[in-house]
Amino acid sequence: MFNQNNLYSSAFAKLQSINYPLLGLIISLFFVGLAALYSISNGDFNSWPLKHSQRFILGLIIFFLVIFFDLRLIFGYAYVIFFLSIISLVIIPFFGIESNGATRWINIAGISLQPSEFVKYTLILALAKYFHSINNDSSFIKTLIIPLIITIVPVLLVITQPDLGTALIILLGGISLFWISGLNYKYFILGVFSILCSLPVLWQYLKDYQKDRVLTFFNPERDPLGNGYHIMQSKIALGSGGIFGKGYMEGTQSHLNFLPEMQTDFIFTMLGEEFGFIGTLLLLLMYAALIMISIRLALKSRSLFSKYLSLGVCNVFFIYVFVNIGMVTGLLPVVGVPLPFISYGGSSMLAVMFGFGLLMNCYINRNIIIEKTNY
Amino acid sequence: MKKSSKLIFQKYDTENLINRRAALVTIAKAGVFSVLVGRLAYLQIAENSNYKKLSDKNRITHRFLEPERGIIFDLQGRPMAINKQKYEIIIIKEETRDVEKSLVNLKSLLPHANIDIEKILKEVNSRNKFIPVGIIDDLTWEDFSKINVNIHKLEGIYPQIGFKRYYTQGESHSHLIGYVSPISKNEGESNPLSKLSTAKAGKIGVEKAKDAILRGKLGNKNIEVNASGREIRELDRVNSVQGNYIQLTIDSELQKFCYERLKGLSGSVSVINVKNGDFYALASSPSYDPNIFSKSISNETWENLLSDKYKPLINKSISNQYPPGSTIKPFVALAALESGVNHKETFFCDGKHLIEDTSLESGYKTFHCWKKEGHGNVDMTKAIKVSCDVYFYQIARRIGINKIAEVCKRYGLGEKVFKSLYEEKSGVVPNKQWKLENLGSRWMVGETLSAGIGQGYFLTTAAQLSLALAQLINNGMRLSPKLIYDNETSNIYNERIIADPKYLKIIKNALDEATNAPGGTSYRSRIIGKYKMAGKTGTSQVRAISIKEREEGLIKNKDLPWEKRDHGLFIGYGPTTDPKYAVSVIVEHGGSGSGSAAPIASDIFKYLFEKKLNLKRNEIFNV
Repeated sequence: MFNQNNLYSSAFAKLQSINYPLLGLIISLFFVGLAALYSISNGDFNSWPLKHSQRFILGLIIFFLVIFFDLRLIFGYAYVIFFLSIISLVIIPFFGIESNGATRWINIAGISLQPSEFVKYTLILALAKYFHSINNDSSFIKTLIIPLIITIVPVLLVITQPDLGTALIILLGGISLFWISGLNYKYFILGVFSILCSLPVLWQYLKDYQKDRVLTFFNPERDPLGNGYHIMQSKIALGSGGIFGKGYMEGTQSHLNFLPEMQTDFIFTMLGEEFGFIGTLLLLLMYAALIMISIRLALKSRSLFSKYLSLGVCNVFFIYVFVNIGMVTGLLPVVGVPLPFISYGGSSMLAVMFGFGLLMNCYINRNIIIEKTNY
Repeated sequence: MKKSSKLIFQKYDTENLINRRAALVTIAKAGVFSVLVGRLAYLQIAENSNYKKLSDKNRITHRFLEPERGIIFDLQGRPMAINKQKYEIIIIKEETRDVEKSLVNLKSLLPHANIDIEKILKEVNSRNKFIPVGIIDDLTWEDFSKINVNIHKLEGIYPQIGFKRYYTQGESHSHLIGYVSPISKNEGESNPLSKLSTAKAGKIGVEKAKDAILRGKLGNKNIEVNASGREIRELDRVNSVQGNYIQLTIDSELQKFCYERLKGLSGSVSVINVKNGDFYALASSPSYDPNIFSKSISNETWENLLSDKYKPLINKSISNQYPPGSTIKPFVALAALESGVNHKETFFCDGKHLIEDTSLESGYKTFHCWKKEGHGNVDMTKAIKVSCDVYFYQIARRIGINKIAEVCKRYGLGEKVFKSLYEEKSGVVPNKQWKLENLGSRWMVGETLSAGIGQGYFLTTAAQLSLALAQLINNGMRLSPKLIYDNETSNIYNERIIADPKYLKIIKNALDEATNAPGGTSYRSRIIGKYKMAGKTGTSQVRAISIKEREEGLIKNKDLPWEKRDHGLFIGYGPTTDPKYAVSVIVEHGGSGSGSAAPIASDIFKYLFEKKLNLKRNEIFNV
């Protein structure tokens, strides 16, 4: 069935049908991140920039691997992949690595991975398969129970790590798919209402540092040297950058270490300080273009699965960007979400490349029709 | 529509629905992006100038630079107070999140250092948050580098290089030069250096008197620091300006000699140039090492200095007042001459002098001569030579207290010698008005008699006595006493204060006899050689002698406790042929002037005649 010629020609055909503007944007964003990390490491390529590059290359390999898999195969194993990712979350408390009071990483063959980063996309995968497969004319409420469970389980697992930021992104990514799949809007109204009602209860379950962050978000001056310090310094860095920035490698907030976590969560701030409003606007436009192209590609698919999956990946990506930038500009509480393609971090880089691999696969196979299966 | 609303999924047209929902999501995303762009525009454009200020405040720190203190030189240009480099640590409240934590970290880093966290916390909280507060004043190089290596653990703590005052002459000059220590709160307002907690101010002596000249001007600099406070680079600086130097009239070698000569005794020496009023020595004993104040001294050391019965902290040459005793006699004689008393006139001394006193049972009060059996017939010369008290009782009674006081004041007694030294005392020259104003009672005749021999209310200092004698010996020409070469005190008087120059000859002759003729009170201390000294001894009583004690026989000084023994004084000048110097010596509870003070003066004159006959200023041009 798979003879070599066939394989090569099909591989070649796949490479040909890749959407290159999208890949080009991804690579451009990587270079922006590389430049930022080069500045942060004070011109030492061998520290963060080198590792960042290695991870991106690994990410590209994953991207292409995902492309070459048959979409139907991916559809077929969607639940298995999701289940495996949930297993990796479950075992974290037993085999995980603790850092800064949270246990988020597991060590696989010497590489520390953060399974929660991948769960964002595997959940989309599972939900896409589910919503593809259900009888949409169902008026039975029970059709909602399974997707709710598969959404809530990873969210709860990640909250307990504890990692509120990632849990929120998983939840929002999942909910976005409920919306895309056409769930009656009254359930969303109901959902929002019930969440508001349960907030006081949920508050009890937050860790102290999470409560602090939320409180500090609403009033940054309540603790200007503790939790408010980070967001204050971030705003100072952005604001002092002005329109044109302080110049590449000239940021004082970043280079004098006033900026916290600048190679990871606050890397956008560092770029904003050195390149100013022009720089941040250009970066936002790059992200916007990437998202617009993604939506356009997603809607070209003929199968519902492909559409759900692509739009879901796109939504998760958007949420990432929004939460990160909202956080560093003081619009959202500091929840610890990286900026995709730019922040220094292995798991997030590999996961986002995995996600865009899925999206590109759907685009390449946009004409494939996938039969409904039993969910 | 009605039907679809009952459905869980709105599914009447899948394609359209997805497109519509995706479009709504896209619109939402576009909205969110607009919000982000708006937020960035607000932060980076609208609020730019505010955040720029905050960013500069973050990275730029203002530091004051301590000026180097002016150097104090002696007459010959020898530096007596200089500055040495030292390593110190300070803390700035504004630049640390937790002062106490930083201090605890520091303490664990330097376990042997004496760091009183509570005291420093109090100091830090009582000052403005941007003012650096000193923690350790004088650090070893090892500790200093240890701090530098671990600076990231010590938020708000900075090691820096400062200056410490060093006194090259040590304890022989400490009273005169004084010392510096941290600026106190009430000094702060008038001292611009108080912005720097590590800055010091003069506390006593010349260091205090001329602090405004010596202190210099603060510099300042702006430095760029990183988040942990480490200095990255200097942005700009205004250098501090070193304080002006000061040259004293003191000859440090002579001062040292005088101090060494006083060692073991409690007392003081003053040496003055009789021709221009320059003070060449002002020594006081016992003393203390002024260099202990460059580090913070322990309470115990301070208490010991304060409670020592020999009062090492007091400058006895200007701050301790003594009855002049018989050293007043040349001036009383002068008053007598001015009042028309013939110096050849003789009085008979039988050892005592009686005056009427109706309050006493016997109807009279007895004033004794120091020599119980009396001196027989004495004229003025002999009276000064042998220090006959009875002669001076009678003279004093004849001319009255106001005349005595007037002459004594004219020669500088009862008045501060130096205008600038805060710790100087003015002494007392009593007269009728003084007693009425200060004690509220009328003057008694007996008090005139006491004043005639320098007892009673009379109080003088060693510096005053030397100046008084110098002005007399300088042909009765008024002198401008000088300790510091500066513009303020350079006025030269051309004013004769002696009524008639021929009186000087009589007094000088009498003083010469007192030292160089057999029977003179200081004959035993005379100098044999080319140059001679002449002078008057004095013994001032510190206790009243009762009639009973007199009848039973006077207790010898050496049998009394130290505090009750008489003070020994001596004033003298030399060389007798062409006087250059006047010297006063006071030995507290030394027993007698001839026994304790005159030999010291004699040694000082010998030293002066041999080594310092032509003391001259060596002017300083470049520092």
